[in-house]
Amino acid sequence: MTTMPAPPTGGHVSRLSRLALPWAVARLGFRRQFAYPQAALWGLITNSFFGLLRVAVLLALFGTRPQVAGYTPQDAITYTGLTQAFIMAFSLFGWFDFMRVIHRGEVTADLLRPASLLGFWAAQDAGRALGQLVLRGLPMLLIFQVIWGLNWPPGPLAWAQVVLSVLLAWACGFLFRFLVNCAAFWSPDAVGFGRFAWALLGLGCGFLMPLAFFPEGFRAVLAWTPFPAMLNTTVELWVGVTGGGAAWAALGTQLGWTVALLLACQVTLRAGLRRLEVAGG
Amino acid sequence: MIHVEHLRKTFTTRTGRFLSAGRRTHEAVRDVSFHIPRGEIVGYLGPNGAGKSTTVKILTGLLVPDSGAVSVGGLTPWQDRRRHVARLGAVFGQRTTLWWDLPVIESLRLLRHVYRIPQGRWQANLSTFTDLLDLGPFLHTPARALSLGQRMRADLAAALLHDPELLFLDEPTVGLDVVAKDRIRDFITHINREREVTVLLTTHDLGDVERLARRVLIIDHGQLLFDGDLARLQAAYGSQRELHVEFSEPVPDAGVPGLTLLNHEPGRATYAFTGAAADPIARVTAHAPVRDLTVREPDIEATIRRIYEGDLLRAGVR
Repeated sequence: MTTMPAPPTGGHVSRLSRLALPWAVARLGFRRQFAYPQAALWGLITNSFFGLLRVAVLLALFGTRPQVAGYTPQDAITYTGLTQAFIMAFSLFGWFDFMRVIHRGEVTADLLRPASLLGFWAAQDAGRALGQLVLRGLPMLLIFQVIWGLNWPPGPLAWAQVVLSVLLAWACGFLFRFLVNCAAFWSPDAVGFGRFAWALLGLGCGFLMPLAFFPEGFRAVLAWTPFPAMLNTTVELWVGVTGGGAAWAALGTQLGWTVALLLACQVTLRAGLRRLEVAGG
Repeated sequence: MIHVEHLRKTFTTRTGRFLSAGRRTHEAVRDVSFHIPRGEIVGYLGPNGAGKSTTVKILTGLLVPDSGAVSVGGLTPWQDRRRHVARLGAVFGQRTTLWWDLPVIESLRLLRHVYRIPQGRWQANLSTFTDLLDLGPFLHTPARALSLGQRMRADLAAALLHDPELLFLDEPTVGLDVVAKDRIRDFITHINREREVTVLLTTHDLGDVERLARRVLIIDHGQLLFDGDLARLQAAYGSQRELHVEFSEPVPDAGVPGLTLLNHEPGRATYAFTGAAADPIARVTAHAPVRDLTVREPDIEATIRRIYEGDLLRAGVR
């Protein structure tokens, strides 16, 4: 039997070079978003159109009232601008990429790479999300700013909290999406399950309506789910509905859900891969 | 390099739905054993569903067998998958590992980080492969815009940048024209010779096998039917040789004792025979004046077709 040189393993590699792979993957995930600029432009136009519609509906809801559930009309406009801006970055309408890779058997190519599967996909999605934020998110905010004017976080601390919250919202959202996609390991028609999950996400994260507008009982139920951490928390921090000590508590909740979802993803992925190893693709 | 002993793998599939659901088991690989030394190119053949890809998946660590022992370069693939896959390369002709929307060079750069290839080594390999495979003209083209031949060349380079010692090739020339096939076969021969890369080639293209493999494994219904070199396969199981004869004048009766007459037109005849050609030629020329004759060798395709069709080897000849 021949001896082969030991493959490089993590042991002697510095922390910095450990980040080289996720960084490189995220970079490609980012760059890939710019491959179809026309599609991005039409997407932006569509999002703007529905943004206008949503603002009109929300303002009609306010009528002559100065405030609804802590939101001023200006807050509601900012809420709409933010949620429209994050549609693509947070994949609020759903994401089937990993599911497709499993169903087509391409996950074998992923497994032939000596790298963490979840880490690879996370890095790729981080790059994708940032690319979409630049392509679709920032122009959307600009459009809202020009037409109606937005509320902006009041100071450096608020900005820092918002940025942190955006990162955590992406992480929670990605892990949830990945978890749902893992259903493909067990079912060849997991797409239906996925659609149900994205419907829950849209309702529970506050995309359809600010969660503050929902009845007390419904909000109490939602508080026990990770969905608000995937969008609503960020919006409330930005708008200023959540502030002071509550802001830190909200960030802590987001962090907690991120950790919990990460564990769930790892356990589920391991079980899915074990099934693949035994039952084949 | 590869040691496989008494490998078995059974799949269970569910049949029917709900109350009528039952289970059916299917033995994909039954008691397969073989050894492949370092630096060899082996053709792994078999009809669809014979157990080829199950074996390859086990060897790459993607499937765990029910029983049997596998050692690849000293590792059990599925027990230490990440370390194992770091040392192998794979090209699946029907799929690409390149990033679809991005220039080819970006995918190749990413591999430097995936496999932690030292910069100098990566650069040296890239320029060697760029020369050998003529990647230059399309390194900066998005993968989606490549022709099939270009894509395959880029995928080959991607599979070899990290200096793997073992390369799995699955249909590496499928759908390519003759020139493109040749270029890929030359490259595989080159890296096998120069770098001692062991190659396991699964293919339906017997041209690939004839050009590349010194040895073939034939599997069907999960069982290894043949393991040996191509010449031995041909000698032992080849169909009969053919003698094509053109007579000087029309011959009413072309029958020659000791030869099987396959075809007869006035003036021409085709005979089948085994062994050396001298004796059949002497018999035919004694029978009638001959203007021209040719001996046609059985082609490997016909031999293998006969093996698949169960004419041979079913009795368990190894």
